[in-house]
Amino acid sequence: MLHEFSYVIPREKKEILTLLKNLKGKARVLAGGTDLMVDIRAGKEKPEIIVDVKGIEDFQGVAFDAKGSLAIGSTTTCRQLMQNKILRQKFPIIVDAAGRIGSPQLRNRATIGGNICTASPCADLGTALLALNAEVEVASIDGVRTLPLREFYIGVKKTQLREFEIVQRIIIPNNMAGAKYGMEKLKRIKGHDLALASVVMIKTESVLRVAIGSCAPTPIALKEFPADVQLKMICEEARKMIDPIDDIRASKDFRAFMVQEFVERLFKKLQ
Amino acid sequence: MKIKVKVNGKEYFKDVSGNKTLLRFIREDIGLTGTKEGCGAGECGACTVILNGETVNSCLVLAAEADGGDIETIEGESENGKLSKLQEAFQKHHGVQCGFCTPGMIMSIKALLKKNPKPTEHEIKEAIEGNFCRCTGYKQIIEAVRAATGQLKRQEELRHV
Amino acid sequence: MFENIPDDRLKVVGKGVERIDTIEKLTGSALYAGDLVFPGMLYGKIKRSPHAKAKIKKIDVSKAEKLLGVHAVLTGHELDYRMGLYLVDKYILAKGVVRHFGEAVAAVAAESLVIAQKALDLIEVQYEVLEPVLDPVTALNKNAPLVHPDLGKYDYVQAVFSPVPGTNVANHTKLRKGDVEKGFEEADVVIEREYTNPNVQHVPMETHVCIGQWQVNDRITIHTSAQSPFTVRNLFAHSFKIPHNNIHVVIPYVGGGFGGKAGIHLEPLACCLSRKAGGRPVKLQATREEEFSLLPCRSGLVYRIKTGVKKSGKIIAQKMTMYWDAGAYADYAVNVTRASGYSACGPYEIPNAWVDAYTVYTNKPFGTAYRGFGHVEFSWGIERHMDLAAKSIKMSPLEFRRLNALKPGSVSLTGEKITPDTGNVVKCMDAVAKSIKYGSLTPAEKAREAKTGMKIGKSVVALHKAPAMPPFTGTVVVLKMNEDGSVTANFTLTEIGAGTYTSVAQIIAEALRFPIGKVKLPIENDTDHDPYDWQTVASKGLLLSGNAGILAALDLLAKAYDMAGQILRAGTCDLDHDEDKVFIKHHPDRFVTFKQMAVGYAYPDGNAVGGPLIGVGRYIAQGLSNLDKETGQGNPALDWTYGAHGLIVEVHPKTGEYNVIKVASAFDVGKAINPVSVRGQAIGGMLQGLGTAMCEGYIYDKEGRLLNPSFTDNKIPTSLDLPEEVESFVVETAQIDGPFGARGVGEHSMIAVCGALGNAVQNACGADLTHMPIRQEDVWRALNSKVVVGKKQ
Repeated sequence: MLHEFSYVIPREKKEILTLLKNLKGKARVLAGGTDLMVDIRAGKEKPEIIVDVKGIEDFQGVAFDAKGSLAIGSTTTCRQLMQNKILRQKFPIIVDAAGRIGSPQLRNRATIGGNICTASPCADLGTALLALNAEVEVASIDGVRTLPLREFYIGVKKTQLREFEIVQRIIIPNNMAGAKYGMEKLKRIKGHDLALASVVMIKTESVLRVAIGSCAPTPIALKEFPADVQLKMICEEARKMIDPIDDIRASKDFRAFMVQEFVERLFKKLQ
Repeated sequence: MKIKVKVNGKEYFKDVSGNKTLLRFIREDIGLTGTKEGCGAGECGACTVILNGETVNSCLVLAAEADGGDIETIEGESENGKLSKLQEAFQKHHGVQCGFCTPGMIMSIKALLKKNPKPTEHEIKEAIEGNFCRCTGYKQIIEAVRAATGQLKRQEELRHV
Repeated sequence: MFENIPDDRLKVVGKGVERIDTIEKLTGSALYAGDLVFPGMLYGKIKRSPHAKAKIKKIDVSKAEKLLGVHAVLTGHELDYRMGLYLVDKYILAKGVVRHFGEAVAAVAAESLVIAQKALDLIEVQYEVLEPVLDPVTALNKNAPLVHPDLGKYDYVQAVFSPVPGTNVANHTKLRKGDVEKGFEEADVVIEREYTNPNVQHVPMETHVCIGQWQVNDRITIHTSAQSPFTVRNLFAHSFKIPHNNIHVVIPYVGGGFGGKAGIHLEPLACCLSRKAGGRPVKLQATREEEFSLLPCRSGLVYRIKTGVKKSGKIIAQKMTMYWDAGAYADYAVNVTRASGYSACGPYEIPNAWVDAYTVYTNKPFGTAYRGFGHVEFSWGIERHMDLAAKSIKMSPLEFRRLNALKPGSVSLTGEKITPDTGNVVKCMDAVAKSIKYGSLTPAEKAREAKTGMKIGKSVVALHKAPAMPPFTGTVVVLKMNEDGSVTANFTLTEIGAGTYTSVAQIIAEALRFPIGKVKLPIENDTDHDPYDWQTVASKGLLLSGNAGILAALDLLAKAYDMAGQILRAGTCDLDHDEDKVFIKHHPDRFVTFKQMAVGYAYPDGNAVGGPLIGVGRYIAQGLSNLDKETGQGNPALDWTYGAHGLIVEVHPKTGEYNVIKVASAFDVGKAINPVSVRGQAIGGMLQGLGTAMCEGYIYDKEGRLLNPSFTDNKIPTSLDLPEEVESFVVETAQIDGPFGARGVGEHSMIAVCGALGNAVQNACGADLTHMPIRQEDVWRALNSKVVVGKKQ
């Protein structure tokens, strides 16, 4: 890296939270590095110190908590998500979404926490987690707060995360376990690409949830539908809620069209 | 800061700055230039090495992050002055043209074969999807891997009309 | 040469032997220019223009110069050298004006890249942004701003090119054959349309890199990733007015070139930085983003084709107008214009033809040589147009092509007569048509359609190309025998990945009748140690250097026989040889080994005869001529390699999503010296062609800034983008003057893939596209709007 910075790897949660509070924005948290390193190289980020978060046990692991919700440590990599038995059995949409991110090398490093904090509107995992109605557990030296992922995202690559806070765990509500799922991602090539438009659809016995990526400043979740909702309603809601743009990757018309197409395909798949 | 790493089985104890990437570290501090920089941004895979058993784009990993780690590069593929079975298959099936993507490509394949000794054509394609090759069109690379794993039933050939 | 030897008598040629250059690449020990480190080496970095067109009002480098660790800072006003391969129009650093986004404005050399970057950040440039010229057609309007107001003052190769001073035309190539207006009058149907291509980058996996050193007394050493060491030396010598002997160019392993490294690029700047830094070597390596904007790309093209066809299917007249969007500097683009100009109609006979091909300056990264040298770009237009023409008279596109294909007795655009030995494009088309079962869907394909809801379409296209090179292109191979009877061959064709080295080694081994294990071709090229070659471009290397290799082998053998004759007291007519020795034909137990003769023969008493065995083979293109500047008639073609592709695609009729199911390729290579290598070229080029067809292309904003200078948005095919099935064929119509009948094929596999895809997509679902790349969105738009989807606005 041509930009100079120093590197620390705290081993205790308290240590890292204190560090972040004291450094007042001069630090960046490093998990997988697949976004941060790219941004530093491009001159978009110029931290004085990199704080490696991979040494903190509290941010690792995938396990059910006392309430029966699934808690995923923020530094869990895509590879670990894809190989995790609980996810494969109960939350396979996460396995699917993680498998669509980048290349094998990137998946070995990119983390679920990183994906959420980068908050790209195209985020594959982020979109899937919205469909699952996930919550984000945010830690700071002042304590822990939990908020819905949809509130965590506030704009293009912007989240509620303050510079002394860290995403600790991602919580998936227990009613989403075992849900039927489907994901469609529009790309320019069959190789790795970010989503030009994406749709995730989850169906339990009682609800049907849809999240859409790359068609708004953030990934968005449509309102929750009853499981027996008609396709027409979902299409209409999707049409209303998306706000795609024209850019060098795709036009807004095409994105809007493909969202409708994906909604239809996934709906049929989940019948 | 001081880091201790194992590279191709040999231990090294080196002083690195916080911003040194693993790629630069391997090329400059360890002196192994086989691993290449193709884009510096984690897209092309020319810098692929195996870190603690998994492939990574070393241009996006800091040397400091590899402290205590076990790194495998292309230089460790041949043993005792002899080409590995995989390298021999690449030789025979012309899996190499300009050679710039080859070190990273071999590492991705090596990691694949450790987990999956008899990959299908599709599994090979998925494993090397993050290794760009502009020369070969990938086909002869895939055939080399199939041959190295004893799976190449019929060698596809140039047909003379 | 040796084109008639039957296959069963060839030992090495025609066999898929292992390549001779790949062990080092497989073990990581191959050193590329970026791996080299020299004592005292500094690192260079370049400050680039963020504007497409601007006046440089002020550059302040004072802070940069003072930074600790900085050894040199350069700006354009210090470097009053203009360079250019054919038209001398480019300063090493922008002088007074910038002409494209990403152009080099200043450069530094420092002790580390970190310091160099800091120095770059301290350089202050004030620009007055001007309105750029971004379209090659409107650039020709009367009042269009001029990219090069001084065009009339530039030196250029007068025998070949025609710049038009006072305009944005760097070159106008003309071709006039027959009477095109009369032809249109006689035609039953006239079809006219425009086809367009964007700029595309070569994307070699190794970006441009070089290490330049300019020492006392103007002694210059350059290590570079390049395709043509003697071109680097020659241009350097001319531009800086330094004797050739002062300049030493070395090329180690090269990580791909595809034409982008054919000329001279970063070398002058690296050397100038070195000179300013007191002679310390300076390494300049392009980042991937710089590769996309600072370094050149492939020119864009607007191609207008008007064709007159008789109801019988014969093309009677064709008017072709090419507007090459060549960017800010002429570089190779003027020659691309010329080479495509004389090839512009594809491998078809056009009795009455009119070509106007313009190299147009625009304010964009400039176009250089790229695999195919214009043919990929114009083939898109021609092959789409051939399908359109066929449909207009309700003829099968394949039959239409067969009918109009160049055959023995046909006359090409330049007036060259096609003979039975030129090659057989019809055979290529037939091979691929058969392979994809062109003309109908198989039961399996119909079942696939029913299952997936996708529509399957097929196409067959054809191509041709001759090497685009000066008619006097020559080359040398020097063959030295080693003490153990093996040989080492020196020549400066560069091995950029195509496998030519192995093929030439096979040719030399065959000519010597040695096993290939005894022939070494060192990869590194060195202008001090190796003999001349023009450039590694144009698919001419195999033919010219292969021939030179044969001649070198024959020369070495002649010297060996001469020596052996003395030693064995026999006339050379009574001698024969095998891989170890020269012997008397009728007394084979009387022999002398090559080992004994390799460095001169010594008798038992110490007397010596002969000398170290060395063979020299020189070959120069025979009988070629410049093209008449008015009519375009002449004999420019060393050889013609014909080819064809058959492509099967399935398209979603609603969303435009498509999958390439199969690509079959056939090329008339004369003789496949190494079939595995030929297949490697065929598939590699095909996929690179699919990249152009499916997803590659520069995108600019209205101010001419490049919006996709990285892999994030300039996608290239990955392993998952390979068609499901690939098949490669060769036809072998021997090239009489080719080594063992061979002709080149390095570029050809890329040429017609785009047209193949466009035609197959249209046949599948009706989507009619005239602009590349063919993105899913473009197909969708064409399906829904039912109009021809043209150039993206």
